[in-house]
Amino acid sequence: MRAISQTKLALRCAWLTMALAASALAQSPAHNDILIKNATVMTVTHGTIKNGSIYIKDGKIAAVGETVNAPSNSNVTVIDAAGKYLTPGIVDSHSHIALDDDVNEATSPVTPQMMMKDAFDYQDKAIYRALAGGVTTSLLLHGSANMIGGQAVVIKHKYGATRDAMLFPNAPGSIKFASGENPKRVYGGRDQLPSTRMGNFAVQRQALVEAQDYMREWDAYNAKLKRGDKDAKDATPPKRDLKLDALADVLRGKLMVQIHCYRADEMLTEIAMAKEFGYNLRAFHHALEAYKIADQLAANNIGIATFADWWGYKQEAWDAIPWNAVMAMRKGVRVAIKSDSGDYTRRLNQEAAKAIRYGGATEDEALKMITLNAAWIIGVDDRIGSIEVGKDADLVIWDGYPLSSTGVPGKVFIDGEVYFDRAQPGLGTTHYKEGE
Amino acid sequence: MQPPANTPMWSARPRPLLLPLFLLLPFSTNKPPMWSGRPRPLLLPLFLLLFLLFSTPALTQDHPVALKNGKLLTITHGAIENGILIMQAGKITAVGTTSQVAIPADASIIDATGMTIYPGLIDSETQLGLTEISAENTTNDLIEMSDEIMPHMHTADAFHAESALIPVARLNGITNAVVAPESADTLPGQDSFIQLFGASAPQMLLIRDNAMPLNFTGDQRRNQGGFDKRKFPSTRMGLAAQLRQAFLDAQDYKAKWAAYDRKKAEAAQDQNNKNQDSKNQNGKDKKPEPTAPKRDLKLEALIPYLEGKKIVVLAAESPSDLQTAVGLANEFKLKFVLNHISHSQPVLDYVASLKVPVIVGPIYEAPKDDERYDAVYSLPAQLYQRGVKIVFASYSAHNVRNLPDQAGFATAFGLPHNEALKAITLNAAEVWGVADQLGSLDVGKNANIVVSNGDPLDIKTDVKQVYIQGTAIPMTSRQTRLRDEYSR
Repeated sequence: MRAISQTKLALRCAWLTMALAASALAQSPAHNDILIKNATVMTVTHGTIKNGSIYIKDGKIAAVGETVNAPSNSNVTVIDAAGKYLTPGIVDSHSHIALDDDVNEATSPVTPQMMMKDAFDYQDKAIYRALAGGVTTSLLLHGSANMIGGQAVVIKHKYGATRDAMLFPNAPGSIKFASGENPKRVYGGRDQLPSTRMGNFAVQRQALVEAQDYMREWDAYNAKLKRGDKDAKDATPPKRDLKLDALADVLRGKLMVQIHCYRADEMLTEIAMAKEFGYNLRAFHHALEAYKIADQLAANNIGIATFADWWGYKQEAWDAIPWNAVMAMRKGVRVAIKSDSGDYTRRLNQEAAKAIRYGGATEDEALKMITLNAAWIIGVDDRIGSIEVGKDADLVIWDGYPLSSTGVPGKVFIDGEVYFDRAQPGLGTTHYKEGE
Repeated sequence: MQPPANTPMWSARPRPLLLPLFLLLPFSTNKPPMWSGRPRPLLLPLFLLLFLLFSTPALTQDHPVALKNGKLLTITHGAIENGILIMQAGKITAVGTTSQVAIPADASIIDATGMTIYPGLIDSETQLGLTEISAENTTNDLIEMSDEIMPHMHTADAFHAESALIPVARLNGITNAVVAPESADTLPGQDSFIQLFGASAPQMLLIRDNAMPLNFTGDQRRNQGGFDKRKFPSTRMGLAAQLRQAFLDAQDYKAKWAAYDRKKAEAAQDQNNKNQDSKNQNGKDKKPEPTAPKRDLKLEALIPYLEGKKIVVLAAESPSDLQTAVGLANEFKLKFVLNHISHSQPVLDYVASLKVPVIVGPIYEAPKDDERYDAVYSLPAQLYQRGVKIVFASYSAHNVRNLPDQAGFATAFGLPHNEALKAITLNAAEVWGVADQLGSLDVGKNANIVVSNGDPLDIKTDVKQVYIQGTAIPMTSRQTRLRDEYSR
């Protein structure tokens, strides 16, 4: 009985998926040309345009302004967004969804060879739920059990598409480091190193020293080949080590370093270690005490991906204050508000609105914390994060003012295609049922 | 609006001597003085002096205060633009338009032009005062896990009045809350109803043991690890059987005490008769004194709930758990309100037929994989449309301050704005039996008042001043102090 009904359901879902795909094809022309009119366009980089229009061609923003030139032919879908707001797609710079709990390879404190894309579960409905909150791009990071966790994957929330279609094309690589309570608790709990912050940093330094040695071996070998020494043809290459390969990429600046770090003193230690080994830090994540050392973060061009107002869940979050984001921003730090949560990622717009309340961020500044600044942390700010000609058409049409508790996405576009539509909840998902 | 200069601000100075006074009063009634045998020439006069000083309600101002020209969201009789609210001696003494209300000559007048004024918000489930830093167990008094049936745990016994979390919450306008134990036991203990301001725990604990959670979500099963690690009750069957046994035992216990009381009364009557007829009876046929049953705090705690004198907060999420829990409650004629019902969309008509209030959510609970993305977001609106009285809860300690955001979010999914505001004010006051004192801007109620720069349900709205029982509370917290320290 149960098996039969499941089969029936599966068939029904498959049929509906095909039907939907067919209707989507019928509705929007293959080249995705769309004209959105009469919206309040919040561009992030050049203010808000009342009654603005935007023309999307081939998945990119082709024009934006009070009036835009768009071909007036039947291949252009026109959407009247009167009374609605248009923003760039929201970017979540710290997420662990769609990893089916494969977030921490917590069997060794140094695992830089872990690739999050190997665990990426593109069918996780959390991707769709975040999309329904306006999120179009997320950085999926390793957790914080390890001092050096693994390499992140950047996704676009094209729920219903194939796995590879959801990977952000040519996104730069990021690697997750961590510090503080989590590594020392995980390994200290097993009577292993590290069980203190001293141990944490010793483990990190040791790994980087090994990577330096590894690089020297390879440099010597490559130099020998290049010089064409007479023993070059007999030279054996050093053994490839994926772990040290990844760390060498950190030292060569090929991977952006994203560090889970709470306390001000630890952020300063991480900055010092980066200088000692000659690599750059892209962003501190959580960074709840950034307000104590904001000028030093700004001076080193290090961003932060922080919570709006989470606090007190652990000792190192005890000095968290909801003014952190704005206080750091005023000192010149690039600040992103991130979710670190399958729950909060569904309403990052509300979290950004808290920056207006706590510290008086402007509308643009608050919006930037969940769009352009988050995109910068991921290294894709040249392609997403604001409404500018040439950028990907990752856009949200909001029912209601987005920086509030009451604004919610009506339609979400990625690369010029609708992936969420409030009028068709379940669009793209296999659980969509008629009549819902 | 800065804290107005002419506001009679209750000074932030602590009153350390109040605590011994309050502790002393209940203890000193039936027992010999605790200090007997010790020198006490100074203490007694000191306590008498203090008693005189504070014998008026401790947090109130005697002087009337008028909030003028604000927009009053009364809850019970609409919004009043350019209204006047007067408070005195901790109570609201007048509410109305400028033409309706005369400001007493001796009143301090506070100009609230541009401000929105509404009653203090009520959070219907929190862990305030039971935790400080979640991951640090030394700071947690959240739940006893040694048994699933723990109705004799009283959150009031653990409530930490000086918690740094309380000022953080009240700065956003939350003035009252239910404090509940965590939910990993079926009967984890009894709630308290608190006010988020006071010099000591006794002042803040407005009602001890106001209600008792009964949790039936599946999370109470002791089924972690392999079969070898499981213990009873590891299934819902076990949970239900254990609950049923506990309530049956409590019924028996109650009957035993009733029998004892009856026998004792009979014996006393007998003795009385004998005394009168002592010459005739000469002590013959003397009935033995009945022995009192052994007291059992656990079973004793259940009796007010079996008698329907107090509310059981019945927590379930799925339709099947909900119906099992309601069945149990009906079997023992418990008076209950529902909690969560986050995944019970298919049976909302059934929920409505129960005609009980629902603490709904949190609406941020993720939907199940077979539910719509907005299934939980829209639950408050769906319940409201079916005539169910709803209230909101943060189910939190650190995030109590965000209670109004949840109510605001529910409006995006169809809950009318005034109903959303009611769900965190008057509805909550009604559910918790304090609507004569809290929940609206009405004459005679406690002056728990929030003055803010906008819509109470909008996330951007900044609260400028909070009054609790008429006292303008200091608008500072550990967090504002850190902000100010690092802004210098």
